[in-house]
Amino acid sequence: MNNSLLVVLLATGVVYGTPLLFAALGELLAERSGVLNLGVEGMMLVGAAMGFWTVQRLHAGTGLSLAAAIGVAAVAGAAMATIHAFLVITLRASQIVSGLALTIFAGAAGLSSYLGNDLNLASNPAAHQFNAVFPSSMQNWPIVGPIVFGQNVLVYASWVCVVLVWLYLTRTRPGLNVRAVGESPAAADAMGIDVSAYRYAHTLAGGAFAGVAGATFTLAITPQWVDGITGGAGWIAIALVIFAFWRPELCLVGAYFFGALQALAPELQARNIHVGPTVLWTNALPYVMTVVVLVLVSASGARRRLGAPAALGVAYVREER
Amino acid sequence: MADAGTQVIGRRGADGAPPSSAVEMRGITKRFPGVVANDRVDFEAAAGEVHALLGENGAGKSTLSNILTGLYRPDEGEILVYGERVQFASPRDALDAGIGMVHQHFRLVEPFTVAENVVLGDHRGEGRSFRLRRRAIERHVAEISTRYGLHVDPRARIWQLSVGEQQRVEILKALYREARILILDEPTAVLTPQEAEVLFATLREMANEGRTVVFISHKLHEVKAVADRVTVLRGGRSIATVSTAEATQRSLAALMVGREVATTERVEQATEKGDVVLELELCSVAGERGPAVREASLTVRSGEIVAIAGVAGNGQRELAEAIAGIRAPVEGLVRVRGRALRPGDPRAAIAAGVAYVPEDRLGTGLAPSLSIASNLALKAYREPHVSRGPLLRLRAIRERAVELIARYRIAAPGPHAQARQLSGGNLQKVVLAREFSARPQLLVAAAPTRGLDVGAIESVHAYVREAAAEGMGVLLISEDLDEILALADRIAVMYEGRIVGEFDARAADVEEIGLAMAGGHDPRQD
Amino acid sequence: MVVPAGSLVFAFFASGLVLLATGHDPLGSYRQIFDAAFVNTGALGQTIVSATPLAFTGLAAAAAFRMRLFNIGGEGQLYIGAITGAAAGLYFGGSGSSSAFAIAAMVVAGCAGGAAWALIPGVLRAFFKTNEIITSLMLNYVAGYLLTYLVFNTESYWRQTTGFNATVFPTGKPLPASAVWPEATVHVQGGIGLPLGAGIAVLAALVLWVLYRRTRFGFEVQVLGDSPRAARYAGMRTRRKILAVMAISGALAGLGGASQVGDFRHTLDADPNGMRKQYYGYAGIVVAALGRYNPLAVLLVAFLIGGLQNAGNTLQGADFPSGLVGVIQGLILFSALGGELLVRYRLRLVRRAETPAAAVEAA
Repeated sequence: MNNSLLVVLLATGVVYGTPLLFAALGELLAERSGVLNLGVEGMMLVGAAMGFWTVQRLHAGTGLSLAAAIGVAAVAGAAMATIHAFLVITLRASQIVSGLALTIFAGAAGLSSYLGNDLNLASNPAAHQFNAVFPSSMQNWPIVGPIVFGQNVLVYASWVCVVLVWLYLTRTRPGLNVRAVGESPAAADAMGIDVSAYRYAHTLAGGAFAGVAGATFTLAITPQWVDGITGGAGWIAIALVIFAFWRPELCLVGAYFFGALQALAPELQARNIHVGPTVLWTNALPYVMTVVVLVLVSASGARRRLGAPAALGVAYVREER
Repeated sequence: MADAGTQVIGRRGADGAPPSSAVEMRGITKRFPGVVANDRVDFEAAAGEVHALLGENGAGKSTLSNILTGLYRPDEGEILVYGERVQFASPRDALDAGIGMVHQHFRLVEPFTVAENVVLGDHRGEGRSFRLRRRAIERHVAEISTRYGLHVDPRARIWQLSVGEQQRVEILKALYREARILILDEPTAVLTPQEAEVLFATLREMANEGRTVVFISHKLHEVKAVADRVTVLRGGRSIATVSTAEATQRSLAALMVGREVATTERVEQATEKGDVVLELELCSVAGERGPAVREASLTVRSGEIVAIAGVAGNGQRELAEAIAGIRAPVEGLVRVRGRALRPGDPRAAIAAGVAYVPEDRLGTGLAPSLSIASNLALKAYREPHVSRGPLLRLRAIRERAVELIARYRIAAPGPHAQARQLSGGNLQKVVLAREFSARPQLLVAAAPTRGLDVGAIESVHAYVREAAAEGMGVLLISEDLDEILALADRIAVMYEGRIVGEFDARAADVEEIGLAMAGGHDPRQD
Repeated sequence: MVVPAGSLVFAFFASGLVLLATGHDPLGSYRQIFDAAFVNTGALGQTIVSATPLAFTGLAAAAAFRMRLFNIGGEGQLYIGAITGAAAGLYFGGSGSSSAFAIAAMVVAGCAGGAAWALIPGVLRAFFKTNEIITSLMLNYVAGYLLTYLVFNTESYWRQTTGFNATVFPTGKPLPASAVWPEATVHVQGGIGLPLGAGIAVLAALVLWVLYRRTRFGFEVQVLGDSPRAARYAGMRTRRKILAVMAISGALAGLGGASQVGDFRHTLDADPNGMRKQYYGYAGIVVAALGRYNPLAVLLVAFLIGGLQNAGNTLQGADFPSGLVGVIQGLILFSALGGELLVRYRLRLVRRAETPAAAVEAA
């Protein structure tokens, strides 16, 4: 039973979905504050490289190395995000262009590649990696075994993060403030909230999450470094945030859904199941659905309930004093 | 009836002692480039009173209140709150000092609930906590709202509320922060008469508790209905502070618009008034917040200058936009030279010969990043001498621009300069040059001299007269009575969307006009 | 002019520092890049190959962004143009029509495909006010999956079904010889090829330039992009413009896709490591931004960035820091973005102090 298509898909979906989830949570925070950051792919790659580097260079036990690696990856991602934040928040540059510039700068033909090669990251597999936490006996339990108990710490950490982000946004004051900044920076500013500071903080947080997401690849999924290892996951994460209507709980569902989709084709092929038009529809469906829902939302004026943060992508200028 | 009300409350004060001043502004002066918005203004409001601030546009009311709420810093003068000198570096300081403001344009986050909006950004006490205790907050907000009769559901989302209810949320914000001094800027502009009554009751309740309410308005009957005292501003100066019980609408109007000396020369135009150019038949136009123009009827003849007087916000902009085709009236007709215009079609209006000089020059009348030459051709680019088929004749456009720049003496580096680089006066000249040179039948000019210096104002006036002399019909919409008196042949007054009076300019009684502008013939009064 | 030049200088300076810090020789590396991009034998030809798709997608982005229509769907529009262009090429190339006809059909099909794909977000924006950034972005993914599907998941018209490896390594059907786009040979650097696509791109840039600068259409686009309120005031029709501009933008990107098939790959390339990995669509936005959305400048920038790309591809190896090209490109962009705004800022602050207009509104 644990080898059935569905179980394998779900289990692999969780594995592939975890970096998507981390990256999407981060981008969600940035976008909730009104900043669109298309540089996710680039930030992930830099995080992947720097996290891997930490594990290779730090001569310490597994736990410590991995923890430090995650920390470094987060910092690296945040550092990349700082460039974007400065350009779009302080200098009010175009968010689209700046994000794309970041992807080019940090991405597979850019800084991450530079670092990877200069630091010789491709030569060895990871010195430490994230392995399954629970004993194999539990992993063999029917259905839940592979899906829930066969995962590593990062996966469980991502679940905690989903809950934390959800609590943050809905049940705390800073969460209320950041939502105000993303919906109506003028109102937030009038009520004494520092719009710039919130946008900076959340953009950098977005970068940190993206960095960790990248490290998931090099330290858990394929524990080695290869140039461009994320393979476009950053772009999927961006779509995922929109698909999840900027809600953390839906990011979880969506991430695993997309993760499972990625595993679908190879699994079907390995089982010699003929792949027909259904593959196209299942792959394309989430995007098409998202567009349809967005249109319905804007046409019906329900934008205020379901749509993007109203100030997403728009620089904020305060009126003259 | 309202008079009786004000007499009952009268002034507050323990044991008949004079009331303590809640807020005092002494010698406040605020200058902006080219204008002195507040000129040594003195203002004082007591605890437990409702104090109105009355004046036309440009009188300095908004500037004064912006200074009081920390948005602007005064160039001279001092502010005292409960007897202590204060200096506000930002709106937050004013909030901390207990001054709250309800603006005309609400600062609300639409998808949030009422409760969320009320507590947003509160940094005192409970506000410092990390956790958002929803239910406790909702209860607290419900409490305040019941106590003051500001009925609104704390869990409702802003976009679900009516404008009147949204305003209540703004007031709740101030009350939640325990504002002792509350300033409301033209609060009834967005309310129905019934909602206004409820608001007045609330304000009285707050004053009874010892708070101070400052109520900015240009509507006389309201001032009489709810305020204890009223301070009249005019031309940046404080003219008088009187008790509303002792004043009449007429005396207030006189203070509001009274001219000591005839400031602008009136030049008599001996132009033949010809056929009717513009005819408005029972036009009703909707604005962003409900009906803006109600069944307005008006005629303008060729060679005639008809002015619409009134404080901004009484529907003038929507009326002008309806004539220019930018907005479609919900009822009624606009006729130019007898033919009804296709509603909501700017091109039809332009083709019929309507020229429109909008009050928002840089935002609507011009494309700021484009060159002066392009802006001058903004409407004319479709004409044969400016374009040949799909292609533009760039040289023709440039030559035309050079000619117009010279003729109207527009101070600019050249026809290629970006429009946004010009000063206000020159921007207006560009718009006028463009509109005039189209040889229109009707020129609609909205607040054409706002923000201009004296020389520019004179030029604009000269162009308006010239337009009439050349046979155009001119509809001049202005808040500046001086200007109107100097230029117009006939004066119509707009108040709350209606035309409430028409006067012959030569025989006009300024006080009558002022009275009409401030709603003086309101049947609710007396 | 000062700003772009200044940003180039700054970018090279900054990356020079990075290189020094990591033990490389900046001047040596720059020399290598320059040679590989423009000087070595055949370098110009390769640079043109890299630059051509960037020119198309750059023009596509410029056409839309000029009117503040943020079409980031160039990537997807390029894929669809490749699909429709390939279909036309396969059909007409194999059916005995003349070469000229087949190629012309590919050009038209490429434009049509890209335009249609772009009209989806266009219609949604014009009639439902839906944010075109999100809708065009989503459609990129859909187009990508369509591409995969046609070659990897079905025995479709586009797929190679005969031959040795047909079922094991799915590839696209090769383009018949008569549908392959011609190349002009220029006797420089030992003979380089000027692909037809490059010529079309230059032509397209000129047409776009004329359209936006010298026609009524272009005038309206300028006004709409600058101030929608002023446009309405002047009686300009917004909806039609949105549709027209999106269609033009999509057509240009689609043309880029057809060029990829006709000029370079000679098949519908759905390989995840092939055409799709280049992210031409997104790179085009960056090219357009650097060119300040001016079609002629876009050509120049595409050429320069193409040179960088080419150098990056050629210089893979032990003695050249990989990823340097991306770093330099990124830095150029960052400093261009930053520089322009710093300059404009100072202007605006000065201006504001002088205009009395805004101030008195508040009184």
